Amino acid sequence: MPAMVEYIQTDSFFHRLNPITKILWTFAVLIISFLFNSPIPILVILLSNLLIALASGIIKQVLPMMKALFIFSFILILCQIFFVDEGKTLFYAIPYFNIGKVTDAGLNMSLVMSFRMVATVSTIPILMMTTPMTDMVVVLVEKLKIPFKYAFMFITALRFIPTLMGEIEQIMQAQMSRGYNSDTRNPFKKMVIVIPLAIPLLVSSIKKTEKMAISMEARGFASGPRSYFRKIVMGKADYAALVLLLTAILSPALL
Amino acid sequence: MIRLNNLCYQYKNGNKVLKNLNIHIKSGEFVAIIGQNGAGKTTLLKQLNGLLKPSQGTINVCGLDAAKTKTSILAKKIGFLFQNPDHQIFCATVYEEIAFGLKNLGISHEDIEGLVNRAAQRVGIDQYLKTDPFSLSKGQRQRVALASVLAMETDVLVLDEPTTGQDYSEGLEIMEIVKDLNKRGKTVIIVTHDMELVAQYAKRVIVLQKGSVLEDGPTEMVLGREESLALSNLQPPQAYLLAKKFHKQGFFKDVYRVEEMLDEIISYLDGEENACNG
Repeated sequence: MPAMVEYIQTDSFFHRLNPITKILWTFAVLIISFLFNSPIPILVILLSNLLIALASGIIKQVLPMMKALFIFSFILILCQIFFVDEGKTLFYAIPYFNIGKVTDAGLNMSLVMSFRMVATVSTIPILMMTTPMTDMVVVLVEKLKIPFKYAFMFITALRFIPTLMGEIEQIMQAQMSRGYNSDTRNPFKKMVIVIPLAIPLLVSSIKKTEKMAISMEARGFASGPRSYFRKIVMGKADYAALVLLLTAILSPALL
Repeated sequence: MIRLNNLCYQYKNGNKVLKNLNIHIKSGEFVAIIGQNGAGKTTLLKQLNGLLKPSQGTINVCGLDAAKTKTSILAKKIGFLFQNPDHQIFCATVYEEIAFGLKNLGISHEDIEGLVNRAAQRVGIDQYLKTDPFSLSKGQRQRVALASVLAMETDVLVLDEPTTGQDYSEGLEIMEIVKDLNKRGKTVIIVTHDMELVAQYAKRVIVLQKGSVLEDGPTEMVLGREESLALSNLQPPQAYLLAKKFHKQGFFKDVYRVEEMLDEIISYLDGEENACNG
């Protein structure tokens, strides 16, 4: 699946940062994007995200996501731009009939909205691609005090996606071998047609979870306080990054 | 019936799984395909009913070009039984489960009943037709899956490790059903790891090694090729190995099956007895 957000192993500065620093970075991006009310500074933040992706060696995976986000943000702009009445009129979408008025305030607002959306949302795949899931869980549980069961639920759900994709493929093949044909345009038929795929998938995933629960219990899951194999510490680079983030957050106030 | 010419297949990531396969399977044959995990056995089977399309070469199945024909159409010619019955079972009763393929082929309601009953009888699950298939044992579920494939009355039956995850007698039952079908003229192609089953049932054996055909011939010939089998981490059946040890001592000819071994021992003992009496 190309749309999957999975950890990508490279040895970059950003990969080596403490997950907490990276989580704080996503929040910093969020805060700064909301502090500014003009598109240019938010675009700068967006570019900084891309630079981080480039430096982490994951730009190839991030760019298609950015593209999808931009398509989405363009739709967002279209939804907003014609409904702002304030400010100077710049042009009309259909000039002759004066329909679709675009004002400078409207343009500004919708650009801010869409850049903000892309800038804040794009941090998440970058965070996920540069941080191993296990590290993420360790900091979530140890440092941020999230109950382990919830953190575990979260990573297991993510981990099962590729497994289930493979399972669907197998079920699909088994049904196709019995003459099953999934080509139909009719949306009502489409709902019925997934039944031969959905039921075996449901049954097998329930069986899988049961087996997994048993094997986990057999190995002492939730039997007492946990220890962690990985030790994650804040390094010099982390503190430097935190100072940088803090100044970035404070800068709009100083400007 | 089935003809592969220079068939190659590679996955999208460039991994070549099948290399220049030239295989011709005639009507009524019982072929076992053996080889290590990852040798391309299942990939080869999936070419036969169009689940995977060759990257190069041609494949002709019952007069259809499998490279250009949809699986749902090839399903009329090739019945395909997968390793895990749970990947296909979804109906509330065994009857409906067996009828699913027939409905897909557009067979009339009246005909379906007869076909379902016949298929259920053949695999010995006719008493379970109204049962929920999920309440049956794994071996029984595999037989439901087999019946659902049989009901479609295809000329060719393809089985991908049908006995995996079942106990020995359940496996034997499945194989006996398949043997019977083969006697009635069905072409059978089976992938299995069980060399005893291969010796017992197959008439022809194809050994795949890293996507190429290493051996292809009558069962007795291929199972005797110990070096080739060893290349694929396979061993000839135990009866053969035992007979070979005796062979060195001057007893017995080459045998491949337990029954043959038994016959050899009995005839040998008879000989001994006669010698004593005489």
